[in-house]
Amino acid sequence: MNNTLNINRLGKVIKYDGASFFHNLSLTLIILWAIPVALWLIASLTPNDGHMEAYMRISMIESLTKILLILTPAALYKSCNDARKGIGYAMMPASALEKFISMVFYCAIAAPIVYIAGALAVDSILALFGGPYEGFAIAGYFNQYEQIRNVFETNMMMNPEEFDKYTSMMTPAWIIFSDIFSVLMLSSIFMFGNMIFKKRKTGKMIGIIVLLIILFLIVFVNYVTNHRTMFTYMDADNAEEIIKRFIYIMIRVAFVVEIVISVVMLWLTYFKIKTQKY
Amino acid sequence: MIKINNLDFAYKNTQVFRRISLEFQKGNIYGLLGENGVGKTTLLKLICGLQKPQHGEVTVDGFVPSERKPEFLQNVYFLPEEVITEDTTPEKFIKKTGVFYPRYDYELFNKLMKELEVDLNKKFNELSHGQKKKALLACAMSLKTDYLFLDEPTNGLDIPSKALFRKVISQYCNDETTVIISTHQVKDVENLIDPIVILDRDDVLLNASFSQITEKIFFEYGPERLDNAYYTEMLPGGYINVMRNVNNEESNINIEALFNAVMKNKETIKNLMK
Repeated sequence: MNNTLNINRLGKVIKYDGASFFHNLSLTLIILWAIPVALWLIASLTPNDGHMEAYMRISMIESLTKILLILTPAALYKSCNDARKGIGYAMMPASALEKFISMVFYCAIAAPIVYIAGALAVDSILALFGGPYEGFAIAGYFNQYEQIRNVFETNMMMNPEEFDKYTSMMTPAWIIFSDIFSVLMLSSIFMFGNMIFKKRKTGKMIGIIVLLIILFLIVFVNYVTNHRTMFTYMDADNAEEIIKRFIYIMIRVAFVVEIVISVVMLWLTYFKIKTQKY
Repeated sequence: MIKINNLDFAYKNTQVFRRISLEFQKGNIYGLLGENGVGKTTLLKLICGLQKPQHGEVTVDGFVPSERKPEFLQNVYFLPEEVITEDTTPEKFIKKTGVFYPRYDYELFNKLMKELEVDLNKKFNELSHGQKKKALLACAMSLKTDYLFLDEPTNGLDIPSKALFRKVISQYCNDETTVIISTHQVKDVENLIDPIVILDRDDVLLNASFSQITEKIFFEYGPERLDNAYYTEMLPGGYINVMRNVNNEESNINIEALFNAVMKNKETIKNLMK
């Protein structure tokens, strides 16, 4: 018997975890699906003729998906590290890797897919009614690149050729790829938080992230203040070029950071599942 | 077989076991006794792989429990003292859990639920504490694992249920199974357990079968308190004296009196039983 990964057993773990998926997540899903409906209702009832473009609604769905990703690990696997309630999970005859894969499947794949599919279905139904929702939100997803391009063109006076040069990575395929990793990063952070904290798991993890961001900003601001001379060569002529280069670098750095954080958090989560004591 | 060799275990600053060695043979129903806080539950958790020894080793049929390999886990079941159940019916629970255990027997589950008089279609949270405990016991036994660990299984059971518990557990055990029952309620398991393991802080005071015990210790029921007894207790109609079996006489064990005798004469009885 393979004690690390057995497809048949993995299927059983996925089925086992899936049995409580909707039971544990239904309320969260319903609330998050209801938000676009509530906005549609509010926009329909207000006297001014407010429209919500497809790309704006897809951004809203993306944001709500991120909230779901934050809440899902604690909703589905709340007690898996609890000294009393987690015994059943620990004693389930499956390997740590199989339990981990199932956890990633539900937290980072199934939950966002179910939510996005539902949210797009709700959006499409609302769009069919007309009113404030124009066009289908799904179309807005593939227009994002164009929207970003427009924003750059309008606000930064960057022509399309320049934009393409500095954002050559930001193709629709890259956007999808990047979104997948940002989903994985967010999900993996909160999966890890769910494994290390016993109570108020999500809140504590949010607190840590906020603290880390504040710490990073303090270090960054300090660094910039102490290395002011580095920026003295920046004048009106080359400021635009420097900002563009900065964007060029930051897009790539952010992507690498997403991948690194995802991999580290996933490994730590797996390690915690494997070594958790009860 | 369960082998514990030179085991050290501590929770932060509290030492629970210091270099203890112990064996549990197949085909027995062990009674694991000890005062509060001596580490009965911890020992079960170490055997199940829920805790990891700081020193020494624990093996179950050659497996290291703390590695929690599926092949090991599918052969052990631990029923904790505290009843923690999911928001589902016992039937749904066993159907989703049973698939992991190769010898899982749904028919046996049904039979045990009837025998223990628990409604298998009621949700766990609609059942009383005792009913939940019986339902979980039926679940545990229907998985037919070689090792079954029960932590205070009779707590919360009514008198008829305790008799049913003894009946189903004795039916469960065969030459290949090992049941370890950790309990304070020795009367509930008096005619069920054999051998007996008595734990003390940092130590194992006794690990012996009934025949080994009665070979060395004599339980005298009489009208008088005997001065040379390890322990004497007043019973209705007389006294029970726990003493050394110098004349090789046969007697019936009173577990409660034995436990008290061992606790009062730790080193003497430990040396006697060697």
